[in-house]
Amino acid sequence: MKKYSLVLFLVGILLVSGVFTALAAEAPVTITWWHIQTAEAEKVLWQRLADEYMAAHPNVTIEVLSLENENFKTKLTTVMLSGEPPDIFQSWGGGVMNEYAKAGLLFDITAYLDRDGWRDTFSPGALGVYSFEGKNYGVPRDMGMVGFWYNKDLFAQAGIDNPPTTWSALLEDVQILKDAGITPIAVGEGDKWPGAFWWEYLAVRIGGQAAFDAAYSREGSFTDAPFIEAGEKLQELVALKPFQSGFLGATWGDEATLMGNGEAAMDLMGQWAPGAFADNSIDKLGLGEKAGWFPFPAVEGGAGDPADALGGGNGFVIGINAPQEAVGFLKYISSVDSQIAQAEINLSVPVVKGAEGGLTDPLLKIVQQGAAVAQYFQLYYDQAMPPAVGSVVNDNVQGLFAGTLTPEQAAQAIEDSAAQEIK
Amino acid sequence: MSVNYPQQSRTFKKHLPRIIQYFVLSLVVLIVIVPIVMIIFGALKTRGEFMTRPYTLPIPLNWENYAKVLRMPVFWSMLRNSLLIMLATTIGVVIICSLTAFVFSRMKFRGQNLLFNFFTLGLMFPITIAILPVYLIVRQIGLTNNLWGVILVQTSFQLSICIVILRGFFMAIPSELQDAACIDGCSTFSFFWRILLPLSRPALAAVASLTMVASWNDLLVPLVLIDKEKLWTLPLGTMQFQGQYGMNLALIAAFVTLSAVPAVIFYLFAERQIISGLTAGAIKG
Amino acid sequence: MKKNSVDQDVQTLPQKTRSARRLQDRMTIVLFLLPALIFFSIFLVYPVFRSVYYSLFSWKGFGPAVDFIGLNNFKRILTDWIFLKAVRNGLLIVVLSLAIQLPLSLALALMVGRNLRGRAFFRTIFFMPYVLSEVITGIMWLILYNPDPKRGFINAILTLIPGLKAQPWLGDTRTVLLAIFVVLTWKYFGFHMLLYLAGLQNIPPEIEEAALIDGVNKRQMITYITIPLIGSTIRTSVYLSVLGSLQVFALIWIMTKGGPVNASEVMSTYMYRFSFVRFELGYGSAVAIVMLLISLVFSLAYLRLVRQADYLS
Repeated sequence: MKKYSLVLFLVGILLVSGVFTALAAEAPVTITWWHIQTAEAEKVLWQRLADEYMAAHPNVTIEVLSLENENFKTKLTTVMLSGEPPDIFQSWGGGVMNEYAKAGLLFDITAYLDRDGWRDTFSPGALGVYSFEGKNYGVPRDMGMVGFWYNKDLFAQAGIDNPPTTWSALLEDVQILKDAGITPIAVGEGDKWPGAFWWEYLAVRIGGQAAFDAAYSREGSFTDAPFIEAGEKLQELVALKPFQSGFLGATWGDEATLMGNGEAAMDLMGQWAPGAFADNSIDKLGLGEKAGWFPFPAVEGGAGDPADALGGGNGFVIGINAPQEAVGFLKYISSVDSQIAQAEINLSVPVVKGAEGGLTDPLLKIVQQGAAVAQYFQLYYDQAMPPAVGSVVNDNVQGLFAGTLTPEQAAQAIEDSAAQEIK
Repeated sequence: MSVNYPQQSRTFKKHLPRIIQYFVLSLVVLIVIVPIVMIIFGALKTRGEFMTRPYTLPIPLNWENYAKVLRMPVFWSMLRNSLLIMLATTIGVVIICSLTAFVFSRMKFRGQNLLFNFFTLGLMFPITIAILPVYLIVRQIGLTNNLWGVILVQTSFQLSICIVILRGFFMAIPSELQDAACIDGCSTFSFFWRILLPLSRPALAAVASLTMVASWNDLLVPLVLIDKEKLWTLPLGTMQFQGQYGMNLALIAAFVTLSAVPAVIFYLFAERQIISGLTAGAIKG
Repeated sequence: MKKNSVDQDVQTLPQKTRSARRLQDRMTIVLFLLPALIFFSIFLVYPVFRSVYYSLFSWKGFGPAVDFIGLNNFKRILTDWIFLKAVRNGLLIVVLSLAIQLPLSLALALMVGRNLRGRAFFRTIFFMPYVLSEVITGIMWLILYNPDPKRGFINAILTLIPGLKAQPWLGDTRTVLLAIFVVLTWKYFGFHMLLYLAGLQNIPPEIEEAALIDGVNKRQMITYITIPLIGSTIRTSVYLSVLGSLQVFALIWIMTKGGPVNASEVMSTYMYRFSFVRFELGYGSAVAIVMLLISLVFSLAYLRLVRQADYLS
């Protein structure tokens, strides 16, 4: 008996250690990754990174899903309903991401960022966009700023030597362009968000960081003087009729087509503009050599710094149910090499230090610099604030463009929404 | 179905109504066809050409877009999935709606009007909201990432409109027919199967056409229920050409024209059924 | 006079078979209705109940709904002038559809359902708009309506006429709803035409032949014989047109998103914006419920109204 029990005991130990060894050898893990890059070159890049990572980590399978922007938002909404978000997915940071974090749908990666100096690889402003109440839930891959893309030839044709640096100079230039028979500004206000840039930048220039912070923290209000004045200044511009015919129903695509074909002089737009100009132009070259860029002009008497930036970008966040390996993969796609590759295909304006070299377009380099050094970096309002408020901003600014709302009415509507949503 | 009006002397005046008819019809054809031709032409242009000069003739002819779409391996798998879903949904809808419409049109029972109103629910509730709980339910049943999940949901949403249409047609079938058929004593079911259905071929074909088109074009249900690209349907394919900051209209045009081809083919097939003129034979006999 | 002839036959049969017959009928009814009932309950009734539940909360769409606010959402809906505008726009579309789209479809069906050379060609072409998805239709018409005559076909044609200027059809609050209605008509007239065609098939030729022998002309034929005989089809077409007009969404969202400044807002775009753009899903669900109630009221009233007519034919 004793002999048998000894054998049994030994067999037992062997079995147990065998089981432990099997467990220690890495268990297979599947990561779901939803991104919104549908263009060929971009999809290929993401897939390549996934393949490389899978080759290096044989126990990891990455299921990549590429969705179009609007469809992505719809699908994500239904999935969030069930409380099971994908493991890694596209995010614009700010208000929407904050809502997800509040609802406990995101994975806290603060500790991972603190390890091995991963945090320091990012430009801090950009990284901050993907944090909420001191905790990080994702990382950026692209951050740019909105500025004026302009057609140097058209400016020269009208006799404007240098882009305007003040708001009144801008209005003067608009009149000069009009007199020369050139459409001064292209805007796709049917989509609402292109026009919102104008009002938001005016608020940034007039009120500076203090105004927004006060309103957002609810110590102040969106009916404070800077926001009203922003509306008044915007209406000064609209009164000059500087936009293309039918601008109230035009889309961003229309806007880009006009600029790409040299039919309008200026466009206040984000870092994706040159690509869109080229894609939508008849010769596929867009503005090419004729393109220039200048920052939003200073507003005389404004409290804001002319170097302040309004902008936004893209990044990825981690879903609450994600396996640890998802963070590892996230680290992989935010490496310098990956960012350089992204910059080379104009997918991202890099946020990782050292990757700026990947940018080939000199104008994008300017944009990247501007975004990186701005003391006050304001995320688009419809990203920074809860979606309900952002939507109200876009809707009401359209009213300013249409002349159906006064600056006071627009500001009040935004304030009412903020009061309800931001607690 | 030709009816000959009394012969009149062949003067220009007598042909005038006919000429006016053709004129009106041609005008309508023109209005209908302009946007469609624009899309077909658009597919033959480059993206920039399409955005800048949408309605001019495509010169030079750029077949690259069509080639690109046909070369996409996903195009064919999406085509296959769309076909499977469409056929299953259509068959299911036609069968279920015939049964249901029959009951509401030829049989009498208490509370039938209330119950009929219940079955019209699908026409009144917006699907963009309904899809949220539907997603939860399908997930619970375990049919996400499964063509059957899409089939079942699409079938459910198509039931209302088809029941309403079929009921209208079934009610129009004269009851003398039912009397005549049942003189020898037939069961309700055999009346349904042997007489009503064959007589209703035009209506069934109409309902089938509508369901086929609805299923073929449905974007929302497959988008929400399916994650795996190999199970995607054609409408999801246009996503490939819609970027974050703009869309490639020329490629979308090519994709859409190619995807519309099977739908048109099926419609033509059903159309022949609609205009088959079987009624004559049945009534006379 | 409604003759349920099954019942009539039943009365002529001996007593025993009558009750057996009744039982068989009852079983047939239950059996025939069962499939639809099952599908409906799972995929339609449940979502409606769920939405009713959500509509009583202030809820963002993720996590459980916890902020119960009772009927506040509904109060807000009924006092929001934008929603009321949306209802008004919806009703306008309904009226326009009934006044223009349906007669057009009927007229075309009468023309191409008869002895006319090339009718198959016409029928197929007229149905083509329905075959295209709402999304692509919206995109196409966005292009057609472009305010720039170089890019917008409609304005290009318009500017050929001296004295007429290019219009921003979708950018002008006065023309946008009309512009959208044109697209809706373009897309859906083929659907109704199809219904009428199928309905015309049901008219036995003997009736028309008999009428001809009596010497009616074409107009009398159409007015007094054809149209009444497809009465039930017309009633169905009207019913579907009204309900469809109240639900129309994708076309409008793609072209204008309900704008500019709510000029083309309808209930469905209003609902979609609050649900998927503003993430106020409790409110969005409430709007969906209101849409359901409005449609239900119409449906109940309409079906009651036409019940007499249907049973008379």
